[in-house]
Amino acid sequence: MSIDFNTVRTEAVTKLYGLTRALAGVDAEFQAGKVTVIEGPNGSGKSTLLHILAQEARPSSGHVLYNGRKIRRGRLRSRIGVLAHQSMLYPDLTGDENLRLFSALYQVPEAPARIDDLKQRFHIGRFAERPARTWSRGQLQRVALARTLLGSPRLLLLDEPSTGLDNRSVELLVKAIKDERDRGSIVVVVTHDLGFSSEIADTVVRLKQGRVDTSTGEQGVST
Amino acid sequence: MNTLRMAWLIAEKDLRVEWRTKEIILTTALFGILVVILSSLSFYLNPTMSRRVAPGVLWVAIAFAGVLSLGRSWGRERDNDAMRGLLLSPVPRPSIYLGKWLSGFILLTAIEAILIPLVAIFFHLDLTPLAWPLAAIVGLGTTGFVAAGTLFSALSARGGARDLLLSVVVFPLIAPALLSAVVATRELLAGAPLSETFEWLRILGAFDIIFLAGGYTLFGPIISD
Repeated sequence: MSIDFNTVRTEAVTKLYGLTRALAGVDAEFQAGKVTVIEGPNGSGKSTLLHILAQEARPSSGHVLYNGRKIRRGRLRSRIGVLAHQSMLYPDLTGDENLRLFSALYQVPEAPARIDDLKQRFHIGRFAERPARTWSRGQLQRVALARTLLGSPRLLLLDEPSTGLDNRSVELLVKAIKDERDRGSIVVVVTHDLGFSSEIADTVVRLKQGRVDTSTGEQGVST
Repeated sequence: MNTLRMAWLIAEKDLRVEWRTKEIILTTALFGILVVILSSLSFYLNPTMSRRVAPGVLWVAIAFAGVLSLGRSWGRERDNDAMRGLLLSPVPRPSIYLGKWLSGFILLTAIEAILIPLVAIFFHLDLTPLAWPLAAIVGLGTTGFVAAGTLFSALSARGGARDLLLSVVVFPLIAPALLSAVVATRELLAGAPLSETFEWLRILGAFDIIFLAGGYTLFGPIISD
């Protein structure tokens, strides 16, 4: 069953790794049709928050609510797309094989047409016929972005997506993020790149020592 | 049905990668061949002794090759953090376990298809009349070995200790199954009728069911945060 939602809200979310407190009571709301950028120094809990939003990690306390409801972990996987610094692609498979594999795992309807569309959108050319280990960083990230969007995610989470990319790849990334926002997705981006952030952000949340330090922009986040 | 289909997709991906790179087959088979050759040079005395020594040599070679093979198979999941992509997808966790078990089983069986004739050659054994009972013992032993190894390889792939953890945890765990396989093979080579090895086959079968059911059930909780 496909579950839809327009908001994701964290309520007093904390996360402990042993004695280390990665998040210390984060209250935040992420809305459909908005790009929220999460900034903060290293160790401020940005990636941990993203892991929790992606349902990869459980909060030690607090809740994540989707349209105001708690949803059992795992049920939203088909509705969440994650793009990280690592491509999560199999290096010994070609681009086409990687995309076909993930479209099958996500049970994408009319997968060949969806793959062709994404390949065209992200200028994925002949290089995709070679194994992923032979690609440049930009090529890898473009195919990774296509993989992330295969299942048309409702919640799109991007962790330092622009790191190591050339200008052309960053332009494609910015356009993809804006397209997803306009499509009505909830987009959350973790980045250190202030220039990139200013191009895409509707709301900026700054984390410091696991807490929301400041937030700017429309409604998005409560401190 | 969906669980099995997803499992096949994952196994097929592993086999496709191995077909392309030949990395696991080449490295582990070479290692296994070395174990067999060195053991035959050290332990071969006469045809009677060879029937007692060969089962141990065969299973030592299979166990070491198996650990290497499973370690590398899960190592591929670490490259580019591909495992994370798999865990983020809506694939049921048991499908991932079953898929990795299936590809591990097929690869180890391929390695055994090289090692068994080699043991026969170097220890001067005629295994042709014993082919089917031997296949049953090796098949059951491999099933349990890969079932336990897959579960703990996944743990090692997510954790920091990796291959060390795999060897330290897997060998004690599978020791009873490995012992049963060695004794069953020894009895078979010593000329015992199949009915006498049947008890060992039952023990192996029980281990297979426990390891497979345990892996199927525990894989999700173990692999998740």
